[in-house]
Amino acid sequence: MSIEITSLTKSFGAFPAVNDVSLKIETGEMVAFLGPSGSGKTTLLRLIAGLEFADKGEIFFNGEKVTMKNANERKAGFVFQSYALFNHMTIFENIAFGLHVAPRAKRLTKEKIRDRVLSLLETIQLSGLENRFPVQLSGGQRQRIAFARALAVEPKVLLLDEPFGALDAKVRRELRTWLGEFHERTRLTSLFVTHDQEEAFEVADRVVIFDKGSVQKIGTPLEIRSGTSNTFVRDFLGLDI
Amino acid sequence: MASFIDFRNPPGSDRRADNTIRATAEPLWVRRVVIGIVALFFFFFLFLPLLVVFQGALAKGVDVLKEAFTDHDILHSIWMTLIVALITVPANTAFGIAAAWAITRYRFTGRQVLLALIDLPLWVSPVIGGLIYVLLYGRRGYFGPWLQAHDIKIIFALPGMVLATTFVTFPFVARSLIPLMQAQGVEEEEAALTLGASGLQILRRITLPKIRWGLFYGVILCNARAMGEFGAVSVVSAKISGKTNTMPLEIERLYNDYLFPQAFAVASALSLLALLTLSLKTLAEWENRRQFEAGQRSLLEPTIETAP
Repeated sequence: MSIEITSLTKSFGAFPAVNDVSLKIETGEMVAFLGPSGSGKTTLLRLIAGLEFADKGEIFFNGEKVTMKNANERKAGFVFQSYALFNHMTIFENIAFGLHVAPRAKRLTKEKIRDRVLSLLETIQLSGLENRFPVQLSGGQRQRIAFARALAVEPKVLLLDEPFGALDAKVRRELRTWLGEFHERTRLTSLFVTHDQEEAFEVADRVVIFDKGSVQKIGTPLEIRSGTSNTFVRDFLGLDI
Repeated sequence: MASFIDFRNPPGSDRRADNTIRATAEPLWVRRVVIGIVALFFFFFLFLPLLVVFQGALAKGVDVLKEAFTDHDILHSIWMTLIVALITVPANTAFGIAAAWAITRYRFTGRQVLLALIDLPLWVSPVIGGLIYVLLYGRRGYFGPWLQAHDIKIIFALPGMVLATTFVTFPFVARSLIPLMQAQGVEEEEAALTLGASGLQILRRITLPKIRWGLFYGVILCNARAMGEFGAVSVVSAKISGKTNTMPLEIERLYNDYLFPQAFAVASALSLLALLTLSLKTLAEWENRRQFEAGQRSLLEPTIETAP
């Protein structure tokens, strides 16, 4: 699914979190939002998901305006940095949640839900954990469950907010590689927020660099690294050192 | 998932400190005196009175006790207490959830005022809680003439007693939910939202299960106060035994009529209800703390681990 954003602006009180941002993301792309904390990248992701609403500007999914639509209508798959798993539910119930709350007319049968959950568990290589509770899993396992939960409802876009931010370096690398492979295989349009440039440049097709709520630079990892005159970007990436 | 860094026992918060004497502790004799004063106070002001209530009820033998609990007026007062609680508690549970939801989930003008107003019933005397309803709905109150013209009786009747009790017990559910909901945050609700859940589904499947022990705690506290309320109810009830008397009011009537064993019989029944509430409350506190700590722990997830 393609996403188009036109002059999007969002302020929290007097603080302009996202300031006049325009972007176009093509179907099947993997795009990284890179920038220091407070640069507006997470707010932009939440605006796209419908977890925040813009003060100005528009958001289009496949050409259709969704600016004022609620998050539960947009149904973008969202993965949170802190996993946000439902702690009172088993892993099975967590992944099946989106399928269980679907409108009756569209809801899958019990057997179909079971099949999908189990095959997702296989995809994330955590088969056999369906009856555990989130607190019984490690951070890396929980984040993969959060992936599976978002994927269960077959979203047209996957939004990842610092998905590996709470994990240690080794698990981080493993999951990053896994995500890259998953994207190669499915070509699901994906946006992810990170402050780790290595992560952004390794996984993403294109990288958007943010500072103070505005886009500083857009391009493929190669384009960005091979030279830019933007002083913020040069400084942020450490190109002058 | 063995972790190198144990966040449950971070350096500097040595658990052993709980079992040993910390450097800041006072000398032994000071500690003994303080504990002794507390124990004495506890005995004379809390334990002994409770004991006396049950002793008073049994003073004239079990027959008087049996008689008391077959007396129409006394049974009716128990009934009235239950009715008032049965209406007040669910109403305040709904209000409490709504208020906690609004205060923790939305940012709006007047939020601070609302937060302060929730506590109002705790700050003012319950008698005032009763009086305001007399001023509003009494015969000479603002709505009095209208109510009289339509033959609706609020003051000196059940509706007034319910209103006064609702006023007095309003803070309990909201107050026990607000800190809990603030600590838990909204991420799980946001996750449910992006998965296509409706507001009602989120409330039923995510929020209510998350807050259930805190809610339970608030509800039983609210119930205890609703059953025991004297001041506010005494203003709006006409205190007609067998008609508008609740248990606390009936105890006062029996006592004033020198029917001490009967008075103590009702008092011991009310005390038993309180003790039951207390044990339920303790259970809820344990569960709530366990969940709260689990929630805090998940925020402090170890970032270093051996296996994914």
